Amino acid sequence: MDIVLQQVLNAISLGGIYALLALGLAVVFSIVGLINFAHGELMTVAGYALFLGVLFAVPLPLALALAVAAAAGAAVLTERLAFRPMRRADATALLLTSFAVSAILRVLFQNGISARPKPVPLPPALSGTVDLGPVHLGAVPLASILVTLVSLILLTLFLKRTTMGRAMRAAAEDFQVLRLMGIRANRVVAVAFALSGALAGVSALLWVAQRGSVDPLMGFIPVLKAFVAAVIGGLGSLPGAVAGGFVLGITEVLFQAFLPEAALPFRDAFVLSVVIAILIWRPDGLIPAKSARRS
Amino acid sequence: MRLWLNIPVTTWTGAALMSAGVAVLAIGLKLALGLNGENLATLVLLQIVAVLSLAIFSGNSGIISFGHSAFMGIGAYAAGLLTMAAAAQKSALPALPGWLAGHETGLLAALAVTAVVGVVVGVISGLPLARLSTGSAAIGTLAFLIIIHVCLVGARDITRGSQTFYGVPRLTTLWVALAAAILMIFAARLFRDSRLGLALRASRENEVAAAAIGIDVRRARFLAWVASITCATLAGALYGHFLGAFSPKDFYFDLIFTYIAMLIVGGLYSVSGAVAGVIMLAFVIQLLREAEAGLDLGFITLPQVFGLPQLGLGLALLLTIWARPLGLVGLAELRPSTFTRSSDEAPPQPVTRPTMARRAGEVLSVQDVTVRFGGLTALDRISFDVPLGQVTGLIGPNGAGKTTLINVICGQQRPTSGTVTLSGHTLSALPAHRVASVGLARTFQNIRLFDRLTALENVVAAAERAGHRRGVAEGIAMAELDRMGLAPRWNEAAGAFAYGDRRRLEIARALALSPAFLLLDEPAAGMNPAETERLVEALEKLKAERDLGILVVEHDMRLIMRLSDRMVVLNKGQKIAEGTPDQVRTDPAVIEAYIGTRRHKHDQHGS
Repeated sequence: MDIVLQQVLNAISLGGIYALLALGLAVVFSIVGLINFAHGELMTVAGYALFLGVLFAVPLPLALALAVAAAAGAAVLTERLAFRPMRRADATALLLTSFAVSAILRVLFQNGISARPKPVPLPPALSGTVDLGPVHLGAVPLASILVTLVSLILLTLFLKRTTMGRAMRAAAEDFQVLRLMGIRANRVVAVAFALSGALAGVSALLWVAQRGSVDPLMGFIPVLKAFVAAVIGGLGSLPGAVAGGFVLGITEVLFQAFLPEAALPFRDAFVLSVVIAILIWRPDGLIPAKSARRS
Repeated sequence: MRLWLNIPVTTWTGAALMSAGVAVLAIGLKLALGLNGENLATLVLLQIVAVLSLAIFSGNSGIISFGHSAFMGIGAYAAGLLTMAAAAQKSALPALPGWLAGHETGLLAALAVTAVVGVVVGVISGLPLARLSTGSAAIGTLAFLIIIHVCLVGARDITRGSQTFYGVPRLTTLWVALAAAILMIFAARLFRDSRLGLALRASRENEVAAAAIGIDVRRARFLAWVASITCATLAGALYGHFLGAFSPKDFYFDLIFTYIAMLIVGGLYSVSGAVAGVIMLAFVIQLLREAEAGLDLGFITLPQVFGLPQLGLGLALLLTIWARPLGLVGLAELRPSTFTRSSDEAPPQPVTRPTMARRAGEVLSVQDVTVRFGGLTALDRISFDVPLGQVTGLIGPNGAGKTTLINVICGQQRPTSGTVTLSGHTLSALPAHRVASVGLARTFQNIRLFDRLTALENVVAAAERAGHRRGVAEGIAMAELDRMGLAPRWNEAAGAFAYGDRRRLEIARALALSPAFLLLDEPAAGMNPAETERLVEALEKLKAERDLGILVVEHDMRLIMRLSDRMVVLNKGQKIAEGTPDQVRTDPAVIEAYIGTRRHKHDQHGS
């Protein structure tokens, strides 16, 4: 009972992290058509900001907020420096730009900070378990699910209730019309990147909480998974990104739990084969995006 | 253009020139720098082989593949297992399954087996890949990269897992690499200019238009993928026999990043660009690698920077995409005329086809077509015929359902009920790329040309779909360009044409399919009166010369009244009139639909 519940919890919390990352990718893709390879480096920025915060004994809540803000700031900065000059380019050129940005940032981290992992000591409350009657559940996965939920709710409120949020949803459907309405395109794009960076920052915190350390490559693997999640969900579709994230996280945990010992090293291969099967079944993803502006 | 084996002679001579250049460079390096130079030259040649294998798929299809480095890995391990000395194999891989052990073949035999492996993995991976949309396909290749990497790491008994796989004999000498590079240069250039390569490049430029001239985009992508992956596994096999010892991470992100950077910096869209990119970046990487450990410039000492080559590649990639999106070389290929400057090759001779004997009474027939989108009835039981040898005009105010009807006729929209038939085929049930082969060609309201292909290539791509060999196809294409007054500009990229010329080029492309029926979707939209006049003259000439049924959708009343033999009028999804232009002009229902009546207006105010 314990184990099953624990696995369910793990699946949901991992799926949540993927969902947040995939959402960050989808927010940007829906508006500027960029599949942002450098998203993982935004996670790394948040990780290092948290590391520095803890190092200088900044109160934890403040350090967490700073870390998320750092990722959002870095996202806006990359947009300003690298992606804005490319606004009119096609999807392939944008993808390659972010590919290059990602490689450059990684080298900068390796040289500027350290190629080795840096430990991030977290409060002991997070490393324990929570006892709910007879079941003991890990505190980190529980906190992680909570944070994911709150982030999703806040994001939904932002997109549905605020003017900027509505402008962003409109931009996702038709960017040209948005401009005709007299809304400043650059601001919408900047906010989209900031939002995407903040989502990367939040997922970085959850990731670091599970790992206890940061290194220059920490964002690489999770964001790779997030790509896959965003594509299964339907590129540029926000509900799709969330669905894709959870599908991927749950599939991974299921394979981890139920594959025979000998097949475990091939887990990712199995998972990705499932992904390809989903894509063959639905080439545009589970919940395709509404606009077809790149057709 | 003269052809040899259906490929322009300039492609052959260009490839020969390029091979000679590469050979001179490689041998020069060996002579100048000795053993170091020989190693560097071999590496550069192998990079040319690898990047060209990538270019065969990515350059022609426009889909960047992130998976090729992993497929190279498969080739390296497969060939390495075959050539490895039995004794070395026993110590390195004690648990190797018996059927894989102790072959000790030579390099050529190993390459032959690797090619078979390449075809098999190419087919397995290509089947799902070809089904994906363009955007998802790149991510799909990324999935292949990870899947293969995980499998190579996981299959410990065969690959030693993430540990170094050693004992592969170093059989890839400078000469082997040079031979491979020359073969690949020829293969890549011939592929690019082949029938399949041209079809794929057309689909890269515009997928919808490619399907409309009869190109099966999925099939073209699949075949190119299999060819490209086979070449990649061979490139990997040679690379493995150059390294001697390697591990799965040697065939992972860093490798594909390097190759993609080389391809983009040189120029994704040409073989010459790919080769130039490899040579240039290979030397940049070499310099940066030496600078990586720190550099003493005399007056200042640069610190050690870990990952300097990656940084350089990243910056090179960024600068290229910003400043020269087509890469340094762009669209042009190296050919003899690159040096002689007498750039103008002779255009192919126009061929006038024998008029095909068509079955009399062949007809494009719209029967009872209804389309509903949710609660909205876009088309309500529309029926009419488009006979051969006449121009049928289709008009209607905005929102009448014209575009929906065209989409149904061309197989892009399935009707809710009813059918469209042409000589026994139900068009409305065919996939879009089969419509052309049944005998219906079309142009698009928002022009869809293959912008980065020349005018001639645009039309040849269509003529080849009609079943002609390259030589005949070029002749037909020239004749069609001539008809539309575009012959002098046959060798210019379609993207450079002015609006009216683009419209006419699209018509020339459609005519090259030798269709029985031609659908023109607002051919005069956006044209000025002079351009419209030229178009009308061209179409009237066409009507007189060819036994062709034409369906024209147009807003320009004067044009359509002048051109049409019969007209069909749609309004709000219903056919409200059909007849000669004169009959339609005076039809009260048509006048009401276009101008409205006083009573009608009054009703609107009242309601």
